[in-house]
Amino acid sequence: MRVPFQAPGEPALKPEEVKITLNGKAARVVRLLAPGSDLFLLLVLDLSGDLTLVDPARQALLKRLAALPGNVRVALMRAQDGLRPALDPGAPRAALTAAIESLATSPRPGLLDSLENAQMLADSIAARAHVRVAALFISDSNVLNYQEDYSNPVVNSSDSGDMSRRFPEGLINEKIRQIKARMRHGESPLYLVHLQYLSDRLNTAYQTGLQELLRSSGGSAEYCRSLADIPNSVDRACDAILQAQYTAEVEMAPGKNGTVDLVVIAEGRTIHSRPRRQFSEKGR
Amino acid sequence: MRALRVLAATLILIPVAAAQPQPPRGNSTAQAPRTSPAARTAPAAADELQKAVEEFRVQATRLGLTEGPATAQRRDTKGKSRWHGRLFENLRNDFLDAVPHEVAQRGGSKNILRRNQFGFNVSGPVLIPKLYDGGRATFFTFTYEGMREKIGRSSLRTIATTAERTGDWSATVDSAGAALPIYDPQTTAPNPGYDPGQDVSTSNLEYNRVPFAGNVIPASRLDRAAQSAMALYPTPNSDAGPFFRNNYFVFTPEINSANGIIARVDHTAGERHRIGSGVNFSNGQDGASPLFLNEANPGAPVRSRRNRRAFVEHIFTLSPQRINTFTVDAYSSQLENLPEAGSESVFPAYLFSPYLGMGRSTTVLKNARNQFIVSNGHSIRWKQHRVRLNGRFIREQVNIYAPAYPEGMFRFGAGLTSLPGINNTGHAFASFLLGQAEYAEKSVVLSPSYFRRSRFNFGFADTWEIRKGLVFSVSVGLEVSEPRKEKYDRQSTVSFAALNPANNRPGALIVAGVNGQGRAFQPFVTRGEPSAGLTWNPFGAAKTVVRLGYGRSYSAIPIYSVQWGTQAFNGSPTWVAANPQLQPALTLAQGLPESPRTFPDLRPDSANNTVADLIEPRGIQPTYQSFSLSFERELPGAFLFTLGLGHAGGRNLLLGSGSSNPNAIPLSALEYGVQLNDENFNRSVRPFPQYQRFDVYASWPEGRYQRDACSLRVEKRASSGLALSASYEFSKQMDNYSGPYGIQDYYNRANEKAITAGSNPHAFTVTYSYELPMGPNRLLFPLTDWRRYLVEGWSLSGVTTIVSGEPLALRPQFNNTGRVVDTLHVNVVPGADPHVSSRSPELWFNPAAFAQPADFTLGDASRTHPTLRGPGAQNHDLSVNKRISLSLEKSVEFSMVGLNFVNHANWSDPDTMIGPASAPNVNAGRIIGSRGGRVIQLGLRFSF
Repeated sequence: MRVPFQAPGEPALKPEEVKITLNGKAARVVRLLAPGSDLFLLLVLDLSGDLTLVDPARQALLKRLAALPGNVRVALMRAQDGLRPALDPGAPRAALTAAIESLATSPRPGLLDSLENAQMLADSIAARAHVRVAALFISDSNVLNYQEDYSNPVVNSSDSGDMSRRFPEGLINEKIRQIKARMRHGESPLYLVHLQYLSDRLNTAYQTGLQELLRSSGGSAEYCRSLADIPNSVDRACDAILQAQYTAEVEMAPGKNGTVDLVVIAEGRTIHSRPRRQFSEKGR
Repeated sequence: MRALRVLAATLILIPVAAAQPQPPRGNSTAQAPRTSPAARTAPAAADELQKAVEEFRVQATRLGLTEGPATAQRRDTKGKSRWHGRLFENLRNDFLDAVPHEVAQRGGSKNILRRNQFGFNVSGPVLIPKLYDGGRATFFTFTYEGMREKIGRSSLRTIATTAERTGDWSATVDSAGAALPIYDPQTTAPNPGYDPGQDVSTSNLEYNRVPFAGNVIPASRLDRAAQSAMALYPTPNSDAGPFFRNNYFVFTPEINSANGIIARVDHTAGERHRIGSGVNFSNGQDGASPLFLNEANPGAPVRSRRNRRAFVEHIFTLSPQRINTFTVDAYSSQLENLPEAGSESVFPAYLFSPYLGMGRSTTVLKNARNQFIVSNGHSIRWKQHRVRLNGRFIREQVNIYAPAYPEGMFRFGAGLTSLPGINNTGHAFASFLLGQAEYAEKSVVLSPSYFRRSRFNFGFADTWEIRKGLVFSVSVGLEVSEPRKEKYDRQSTVSFAALNPANNRPGALIVAGVNGQGRAFQPFVTRGEPSAGLTWNPFGAAKTVVRLGYGRSYSAIPIYSVQWGTQAFNGSPTWVAANPQLQPALTLAQGLPESPRTFPDLRPDSANNTVADLIEPRGIQPTYQSFSLSFERELPGAFLFTLGLGHAGGRNLLLGSGSSNPNAIPLSALEYGVQLNDENFNRSVRPFPQYQRFDVYASWPEGRYQRDACSLRVEKRASSGLALSASYEFSKQMDNYSGPYGIQDYYNRANEKAITAGSNPHAFTVTYSYELPMGPNRLLFPLTDWRRYLVEGWSLSGVTTIVSGEPLALRPQFNNTGRVVDTLHVNVVPGADPHVSSRSPELWFNPAAFAQPADFTLGDASRTHPTLRGPGAQNHDLSVNKRISLSLEKSVEFSMVGLNFVNHANWSDPDTMIGPASAPNVNAGRIIGSRGGRVIQLGLRFSF
């Protein structure tokens, strides 16, 4: 079982400093992949709107990618119309730069439809190679622009007694819960940099749901409140992956129990991890 | 293996080839070598990374993922499984609701309510078996929603008592409980002892008039037409009071229905083109609970509504820095009044306020409002600039047939049964019984009107990142607005530039396309709309944002759905009493005479002696201006704090005839006193004596407002399932037009500047949602057996709003100003405190601080009181949801939405009518009851 967790700060934790308990019992850490170890990054761009936001995000990404160490591979993907690779991860960095610069926006966001697929892809890679795997989404998505309808627009404007839209966030909450349920077996952390914080009620529910979802994957979400915030947010997300993301491979006896009570402890360090996880032989 | 199949199916939507070799998946730790932990942190790096890259490639190749555009070529034999959607039903029943407080207070019980709202939504790739698989390229959504509702509506009104219907007014009292005398208009005679130098009073009457003996109108004097109409007028069935008021309680059902769809298709053509199209369709019937169950029903009509919309959008990504969006949108909204159920004839309107009248206006209405919009937007990113260019063409059509009173309208006043010049005498219903109308009109509408207008918008906007942390945005809009035209030039208005042949004074009817007049009465209007904004992260603090904004905008004058401004073709001949206290305009027994005009009547004097339609000739548009400043700061713990300051103002706001009267009599004319009751004299002192007044139909640009506000908003992102947002705003809004009763001084609007009616200075709102931490993996009841279905999936959402009261608009009971003033203000009593020490519904304010102005004088209080406010209000809405997951893709959600779920009663506003000292309004300052009640809706949604 792979257990992603974040432990910011230096120096990197050693395996003997990490105590992991499963259902209250100490688990044997078979392998600990610490910051500085190999990293395979799925970089997913979901750019659907304002060019004002997209360009600073591109520049921030390019700057960060240029400084990546050699043991990091980046698979560039795009989220619109389904998750698709935009560049082979073995391509040289120059090609990656060119691909990011030339990637066009598309009006329909695809973030919600890509999260689960990206995590499954990441899990497959992590199962094959002993490297840290994470997915970083860069998105400017607005919940109102999805192809699928989450806004529940008024159908009959003459219906003055309609109470069903008093709480409009029901549909997006349902979608997030569905994704969360499908991702509960996932083992790879997802990160998001959302380029535009939107404070209307529907987008608040959307962004809050995303934040919960990504936290439950072991990752995190950053929301930008201004153009100046975009580079900082990209940096913070990259730092979290590169400098604080650990993956512990622990032994786990097969069993029928569907819930794993997971506790990660490192003396003197702050740990961010998923406290509980869903696990079942069937699910795996 | 299984997971990979799911991955394959969901990632690229094709079945996994089972014969393909699968990478290892699952518990890799079981195969891991048992070496020392330290050694395991440094595996053969290049090998592992290369494995990861190869695994990615394997997945990409095996699953058919390739770089490039989305195509429609991929196939999925289980295509329908890619469709998602929902089925839903929302139910309301009076069984679930509380009895509204206003109903309970008068001893009423629940009204019947049966409501079902149902429908479905489905979306996914377009799939036509054996013909087309949309794959990723073509996507559709389709939603249907229907509604069926039967709801009982109750209404408490005041109608004539059984005795009054027969002419017996012996028991009738005024608002102070004193006897209300009814005078016989046939006994009217000039008072030889009248002293014109003194005010009219009971000791100095201009006319003598004798009350009916015993305050009973003899049966022989009752108008036969009025008596016939009484067969359709209900008798009292309630005694809510006081003083026989609120004596008619009606409870009738309203039937509503609606059916509608929204369908949309999006198609991606290559990487750079996206085409979207859609249609909306809705048919509905707005029911109306009748006040009378016959053709004399004065309640609202039943209406049929039809809405249609279709649009096409093309988004072309020319390059990563350039996007073009082209849209064509067509919208149509149709409205039709349906005939009264079970009635073949149209009843004329009889108005005898304060009693509930008979009949109504606009019994026949057919209206279609169409809009066609073509727009194009082009966005360019260039260096640190993002430039957007917009162009939009709007074509508006309004087709309307709406005669206001095709069978005529008769208005009855108290004057003819009063002691002339003396308040609190006579009654409009008594005048009705005598058949003596003070005013009558009849609509003559020969044909529908077909109004047309085009508008063009051009816009340029630039967002410039001056340096990191400082962004400047500017935009300039240009709107060119064509004035309203009529397809067949059937438009007219009064022009102040033309001389009226009847009196050779300014103000005569002009007709579109006649005598050199153009097709419209207003010019083309071109307006620039600038705006600018600044976003600053002070001292490089990215989580702190200061925003500064300024904007100036105009709004086009609407094309209203009325046949206003067509008077030469569709007229309303009127009959006005020469003196509404002395003689009627006509009697019911006479009926409406033949119209003195035949239509079309294009003569310059053809609108004389009527309420003439007046179109403002300069085309002045409302102007809005706003400034805003906000400070945002993200705090630890996912808190966001926003402090905002704002100023907004507007001028040239379009006002209606209650707030604008270009033919108002100057206030100095009040000195003429009772002479103003004479129609001829009254008209002679008006600026345009050839007209009674003007109908400016919400289009006269004289309004101004100003609003200053500061707000504080705190948001908390989800933490342990809780998301919270709270906002508070303090504002002050003033204007020179708003309010329920109109304004007093048309000539000096500065005198009318007051707190905006309906404004709430304090407003506090909290919204929240909370996913209860129950069920597997959660804090509470982490059950994993069958009981998990009971405890997991619960969530709450809520909105709470608390606002302070609205300013009170005090009004005098009587307005004896000879129609110089349409809405009279009250007088302030010097030295009297309008506030009470212990405010309660029994006494909310001190009515003794105000007084009824003397006859032919103005009130000196402001339109709305600067410090007196009505009771505040609060509302708490809650939604409780329970989700049951049936599978990874399917779930059922039960919901219960409660509006005002705590069943809180908000006090009604106090009675603000101030009577004269001789007969004060006993209810002034008191609050009569409260309103509100819990409303519950149950919902069930199946998602797949």
